[in-house]
Amino acid sequence: MSGHIPALEARSVSATLGTTEVLHGIDLKLGAARWTSVVGPNGAGKSTLLKALAGLLSHRGEVFLFGEAAAKVPGRVRAQRLSWLGQSGAAGEGSADDLMVYDIAMLGRLPHQRWLAAPSKADREAVERALRSTQAWEWRDRPLGQLSGGERQRVLLARALAVEAELLLMDEPLANLDPPHQADWMQTTRALVAEGRTVVSVLHELPMALAADELVVMNRGRVVHHGGSSDPATHAALEQVFDHRIRVHRVADQWIALPN
Amino acid sequence: MHTQHRRRVWLFGIALLGLGGALAVFGLGIGSTGFQSLLAARHDAVALQIVWDIRLPRTLGAWLAGALLGLAGSVAQGLFRNPLADPYLLGSASGASLGVAVALMLFGGSVASMQWAMRLGLTGAAFVGAVCAVMLTLMLARGVQQTLRLLLAGVIVGVVLGAVKDLITIASADILQALQGFILGSTGLVGWSACAVMAAVGAACLLLAWALAPVLDGLALGEATARSLGLPLGAMRAALVVVLALATGAAVAQTGLIAFVGLAAPHLVRSVVKTTHAGLIVLSAAMGGLLLMAADLLARWLIAPQELPVGVLTAVLGGSYLLWLMHRRGARGGVA
Amino acid sequence: MKMSRFPSLLAAIGLSLCALAAHAFDVVDERGITVSLPQPPQRIVTLLPSLTEGVCALGACSRLVGVDNYSNSPNAVLALPRLGGGLDPNVEAIVALRPDAVLLAKSSRVTQRLEALGLKVLVLEPKSHADVRRVLDKLDQVLGTHEAANIWRAIDASVSAAAQALPAGAKGQRVYFEVNSAPYAAGESSFIGETLTRLGMKNIVPASLGPFPKLNPEYVVRANPDLIMVSVRSAAGMEQRPGWSGIRAVREGRICRFDAAQSDVLVRPGPRMDEAARLMARCIAEKAG
Repeated sequence: MSGHIPALEARSVSATLGTTEVLHGIDLKLGAARWTSVVGPNGAGKSTLLKALAGLLSHRGEVFLFGEAAAKVPGRVRAQRLSWLGQSGAAGEGSADDLMVYDIAMLGRLPHQRWLAAPSKADREAVERALRSTQAWEWRDRPLGQLSGGERQRVLLARALAVEAELLLMDEPLANLDPPHQADWMQTTRALVAEGRTVVSVLHELPMALAADELVVMNRGRVVHHGGSSDPATHAALEQVFDHRIRVHRVADQWIALPN
Repeated sequence: MHTQHRRRVWLFGIALLGLGGALAVFGLGIGSTGFQSLLAARHDAVALQIVWDIRLPRTLGAWLAGALLGLAGSVAQGLFRNPLADPYLLGSASGASLGVAVALMLFGGSVASMQWAMRLGLTGAAFVGAVCAVMLTLMLARGVQQTLRLLLAGVIVGVVLGAVKDLITIASADILQALQGFILGSTGLVGWSACAVMAAVGAACLLLAWALAPVLDGLALGEATARSLGLPLGAMRAALVVVLALATGAAVAQTGLIAFVGLAAPHLVRSVVKTTHAGLIVLSAAMGGLLLMAADLLARWLIAPQELPVGVLTAVLGGSYLLWLMHRRGARGGVA
Repeated sequence: MKMSRFPSLLAAIGLSLCALAAHAFDVVDERGITVSLPQPPQRIVTLLPSLTEGVCALGACSRLVGVDNYSNSPNAVLALPRLGGGLDPNVEAIVALRPDAVLLAKSSRVTQRLEALGLKVLVLEPKSHADVRRVLDKLDQVLGTHEAANIWRAIDASVSAAAQALPAGAKGQRVYFEVNSAPYAAGESSFIGETLTRLGMKNIVPASLGPFPKLNPEYVVRANPDLIMVSVRSAAGMEQRPGWSGIRAVREGRICRFDAAQSDVLVRPGPRMDEAARLMARCIAEKAG
């Protein structure tokens, strides 16, 4: 499952938003069955990079999915192998308020469903697994609009998990989640990686990011460093992009970052 | 529990259809000659004609037009992710009015131009006008990718075509009254052939929209998410816009510009059941049909043997409903 | 003997067939469509005031069973069922009256619907003097009366008489006839304009602008008419219109204001055009000085 072929590879990926260059010739290889966190200050281009890797943004350069050119992979196949969770609070949020939690999670099964087919047993089981893993199963018949911010996020997470893709790209997946549920998310991620899946997450919470297997440190549209999360070089790069206003410390078997 | 919810959705749909059927039967007795015609129908050929050839197709036609508008309204609200969207958003109302104005102008012109106008008929002109206006909006917005651009283009097309229509009415002032009659909306001219056309278009649009409903659900989660699920957004959105144009055009061609039905039907459905767009579209059609049929019956009954224009009634009823909705939202402090 | 009866029997049958055929006839209406009527219609619905007046002028008033809301002359029609506006009448009410002919205007939307329901529909819409004559002739044909020529002669004679009765000094005045306050004017080529021309008046709106053009108010100020004709409803505030106080007709108070009934007569191209001519002539004579 995890061979020497990187799960995701970017070659000279550049992107422009409006008239500004936000990604400058990114070269990156992300290994399979690993959890990689993308970190960096605001405006570093983290979300943009994730979108480009997911094929949701037009960009220059090439992206490879398990060795295949992403541009040549049919949309449906790509959707089955790559699940993307965007930042909440993005456009179009309020309109999902009327949908039931269960139906929202079931949307994650769309890449696997044939046109006009009713959900299969496999679909229903996948949705139940996903909703249970984010503790959202009890409210599966409630409309999204009735849930709090954290509860909504867990439903959206379940939607992304329901795809049961080999690759999960998540942008700020911990938004609005309280610490216990953040811990749950980390557990789920570790379990997914143990199954052989690949997780790439953009995270603002540095202690959580430092719990990943690898870190991609970005600044101003470039990858400054890509290495193991326990590597001192990675910690140094992290402190540097934040202008040394943080220090990485080892506390109780974990790496955390504290303001300087 | 999920099956209970689905059962509720089905029951609601059946209730809407049942109520519609009951009202339709009731509608056979409403008109300039009241229930008399219904009772005399058995032995009086003219009374039979009134009930069978005039009242029944009118009542059915009102339901069909309302269903088309409800369907178009739910598609519009899903496409633009805006609860205030209505079927006329992409300029179809102005296009239809312009089509009718041009046809009326040709009626009064030379015999040759009149032949053309007559062959197309006012209904055909309105339909062509509505569909062309939406196509113009699509061209102006250069495709369906950007929702905001589509909306803006729709507004522009609406205003410009409206101005052209005004120019035509100034040049031929005598068409003003006839045009006004079309704009106010009425089911008075709906016969069996009109019902057949609306039913055919309605069935096709309903099927297509129902099949494309997952796109609307996906879009509710955001465009990027929808794309990440492998949905061919461009093609499906274009298809939905076509559904919108055809359904609105067919309704407007037969019954004129009727306000609020397309806007209110999805809201009313959502206030009773929360469901995915597949259910919402079908239920909105049933609700729209019920709404317009009820409004039409009221329009024919309130000042019988005269009639109110049904568009005025739907505006009054729809406006009051929206006012009440606003008041309810305000009373709860803005929480829906 | 029996053999010789046969040809006379044939002749009798032949004659009665001819008699029947004589009643059935075809009429071509303004759309160019041929409508075949089995006999002159006895239950008529009209949806245009000028057509109502035409039918009554030809003596067939008793055959009317329903009219539109705006038909109000002669008084006999006021008792008839009103079927709605001329352009959007109540289809059901029309059908309920079982008419054998429906007369209406070109721009009515119900034409196709009524024909689909099996009614005989004739589109007639007079717009000019020549139109009125033609429509009267056509109505003559439809109704089986023979009065059209007489009526037209009478109208013609009345208009000429009204013209002759005018004092010489009143002729040649420049007139502005306002139809409504948009302002829409009656130009030289409209039927109103034709009547004015026959009365010896000059219209400030030439034929090149069309029969009922929407004018720029500035045009009227520049044209400086000697006489203004307007209905009371649109006359309100005429003197206050910017620049209008300088118009000769306004300054000298030479504005003819017609009330609702008189306006009806003036704006309908029908058999009451002689009355319209008399109204205009009286106003011209009064305001002449």
